[in-house]
Amino acid sequence: MAKKITGPQLILANRLDDGRAVFLTAAGEWSKQVAEAAVANNEEELTGLLSVAQAAEVSNHVVSVTPVAADVDGGAVAPAHIKFAMQSKGPSVRSDLGYQVSPNWE
Amino acid sequence: MYAYDTFDHAMVNARVAEFRDQVERRMNGELTEEEFRPLRLMNGLYLQLHAYMLRVAIPYGTLSADQMRKLAHIARKYDKGYGHFTTRQNIQYNWPKLSETPDILQELADVEMHAVQTSGNCIRNVTTDQFAGATADEVADPRPYAELIRQWSSFHPEFSFLPRKFKIAITGAKEDRAAIKWHDIGLVVKENNEGEIGFEVLAGGGMGRTPVIAKTVRDFLPVQDLLSYLEAMLRVYNEQGRRDNKYKARIKILVEAMGVEEYTRQVEAEWEKIRHIPIDVPEEEIARIKAFFAPPPLAVLSNDVPSVDELASKNFIFKSWLANNTGAHKVPGYSNVTISLKPHGGIPGDASDEQMDLVADLADHYSQSEIRVSHEQNLILPHVAKKDLPELWQKLDEAGLGTPNAGLLTDIIACPGLDYCSLANTRSIPIAQMITERFDDMKRLMDIGPLKIKISGCINSCGHHHAGHIGILGVDRRGAENYQILLGGSGAEDASKAAILGPGFDENGIVDAVEKVVAVYLGEREEGEEFLAAYRRLGPDTFKEAVYGAH
Repeated sequence: MAKKITGPQLILANRLDDGRAVFLTAAGEWSKQVAEAAVANNEEELTGLLSVAQAAEVSNHVVSVTPVAADVDGGAVAPAHIKFAMQSKGPSVRSDLGYQVSPNWE
Repeated sequence: MYAYDTFDHAMVNARVAEFRDQVERRMNGELTEEEFRPLRLMNGLYLQLHAYMLRVAIPYGTLSADQMRKLAHIARKYDKGYGHFTTRQNIQYNWPKLSETPDILQELADVEMHAVQTSGNCIRNVTTDQFAGATADEVADPRPYAELIRQWSSFHPEFSFLPRKFKIAITGAKEDRAAIKWHDIGLVVKENNEGEIGFEVLAGGGMGRTPVIAKTVRDFLPVQDLLSYLEAMLRVYNEQGRRDNKYKARIKILVEAMGVEEYTRQVEAEWEKIRHIPIDVPEEEIARIKAFFAPPPLAVLSNDVPSVDELASKNFIFKSWLANNTGAHKVPGYSNVTISLKPHGGIPGDASDEQMDLVADLADHYSQSEIRVSHEQNLILPHVAKKDLPELWQKLDEAGLGTPNAGLLTDIIACPGLDYCSLANTRSIPIAQMITERFDDMKRLMDIGPLKIKISGCINSCGHHHAGHIGILGVDRRGAENYQILLGGSGAEDASKAAILGPGFDENGIVDAVEKVVAVYLGEREEGEEFLAAYRRLGPDTFKEAVYGAH
């Protein structure tokens, strides 16, 4: 059943082993880069992304699959709410450690 | 310190083995997240915004030097080189991998530690005065009773699925440093007219969205009745606490709803039914536990140490540290020492692996190998000879651990907030950093005097904002971080709830608001009057006018 949405959405989850926040891409992969997130612009697209995400949850790649509202500005995409924006960037403190240092941190 | 017996070892090791099996089954898909989540939470493992978080119990905030070294080792090997000491005297690691958690728990078990009951609707780690057994203002060391409660409450089958989490705090000192009136059950060790030791028993305190100060249920409970009475208190709560609404499920709501008199009547009735079955332990067992907490063999020394006075006369920072970070010990010639984890501009409660190792070494050298964690997120060396204070301070200062601000405005409690926590609405740590940077002037801080700022990033109140002389609460205001200021709270023996002063601010505005509140205090205070006393005398209007302008 299609999900009701009022604006663009992206799919956020945490990797099973390390809990790292990851975003579902259009290719059905999970990326650490929010810039690579697939954006659902209508309910049908969201339903499609969610079915891919939930399959990844069942097959144990990720947990805590969450659709979140996105801000799309030109080509740039980011979670609209500060909580999920924080999740995409890492802590704003301890800039010496964690993925706040480098978005490619493992 | 308490040392595990064979039963403790077997219990903790069995739990590690059980969790290792559960993690393996989760990783290979035999367990779904829905099935696994309650199992990991029973072992203190949360999933936060960016990673898992492991909360390790530090029973009543007491650590040996070797245990601290193990915490440092875990930070280095399994985490990112630091840990975060919490407002419940525990430590949290922010970056453990799920698959490595069983190894972490095994390393903890090797030094008689665990993460059991650091989450979930059960009886959590019992907290106490960080100076227990090392302070001059104490009736008796509360830790033997805290240990007794730990043993009774660990894996207690009847109380493993309470309506909500349950927190017990105990103090044996006149000054309440354990915030006992803000706990589900608070215990005050006291002496009756016959010279017998017992407890004043309080119930129904708590923070969260409904702050309530605990009320006295019993003025004096003999030591030998402690566990059966607690059992009766928990049983009444377990049967009648609201399970239909998690926001109304804490004991504070039950006690408020039925009234403390009725709650007490039901507890006493229940106690009469159960007190004669062997719940309480015999006197020999209490004596056995007490022996683990026997005072260390400290030779009495002189309280007059010229080298200390000499350095204090020459060095204002050392003089400030002496005034703020050292306290009177029960043995002449010794001090308890607070190691501030609140460097100005730093993260409240964070310690690096190197700092933890250093504190362990200093504990071995200067403090009978003992360390404490305070609910105010600092570390304590409880038994330091006064003659060693200059040398100790220099070593701490070189490692960034010598900030002389214990009890002052920059000794801020802050929850992890939205930098880590999935429940938070706003960040807390950067606000603490901005305030401590704004007030980075020891002369100014000494002039302001005792002032407790406590910051929570959401209404769950892990940062104790309700009990702050100045409390700060982060709220979500249409998707933006907004900070409310509260004044007049106390977590001490004169406990009071802080009141919201007015509309909230953005992150710069809240720092300005704190500065304006402090300016009112400095302008209006009477001779020797501390901030909280001045607020209570003046009331909120003077502060409101300064912060928001005249309306």
